Amino acid sequence: MGLFGGKDDKKNKPKPDFSNVQSGSSSTAPGPAASAGRTYVVQKGDSLSKIAKREYGNANDWPKIFEANRDIIKDPDLIHPGQTLKIPSA
Amino acid sequence: MPFANRVLVPLLCIGLAVSAAACAKKAAETPSTPAAQLSVTGLDLGRSVGGDKRVSEKVSDFHPNDVIYASVLTSGASQNAILRARWTFEDGQLVNESEQTIAPSGDAATEFHVSKPDGWPVGKYKVEVFLNGNPAQAKDFQVK
Repeated sequence: MGLFGGKDDKKNKPKPDFSNVQSGSSSTAPGPAASAGRTYVVQKGDSLSKIAKREYGNANDWPKIFEANRDIIKDPDLIHPGQTLKIPSA
Repeated sequence: MPFANRVLVPLLCIGLAVSAAACAKKAAETPSTPAAQLSVTGLDLGRSVGGDKRVSEKVSDFHPNDVIYASVLTSGASQNAILRARWTFEDGQLVNESEQTIAPSGDAATEFHVSKPDGWPVGKYKVEVFLNGNPAQAKDFQVK
């Protein structure tokens, strides 16, 4: 080992075995399956606020619809007639 | 037709047409308030969590036989978000990695916990939390 023996020893120190570590998780938030809902086809003149008002009774709930459809809506101010939106449960 | 009318009338028509088009777009696609995008707002470590998935007592030093809890606080809504906790030892050796898929509609807490039946090796550890694959928060802790 010589002059650098200490460093070599540290380098060669066996790594601990974490293969038996047990883990788990849980959340106050529901999982995606619990919030699965129906769909709605966008009509001319619709906006996310209007759809939220109709589906949930509150126009301010539009982010729920936006988040559920991020794959097809890039801009929440821009939806098009004919688009099929997922409507998550309230 | 007087010169003024020949110039002004077409200009007026163009102006009205542009305004009408703008109004039509506005009516069809009403702007809304900014999206409440999901974000990680906190990360706490402890030896236990309550029913609200928050740690009862925040600590950063653990004993070898402890179950180690990480409580991840989020705010905002998402239909499908993946929280991932990555636990590492000292120089980056992977201890454990686990995921929880959530669909929150507002503030939420998600706990991740790890335990080791034969006891944790003494040393420095780190837990990193990722939201949809992006680093969100991290915290160092020790086992003494």
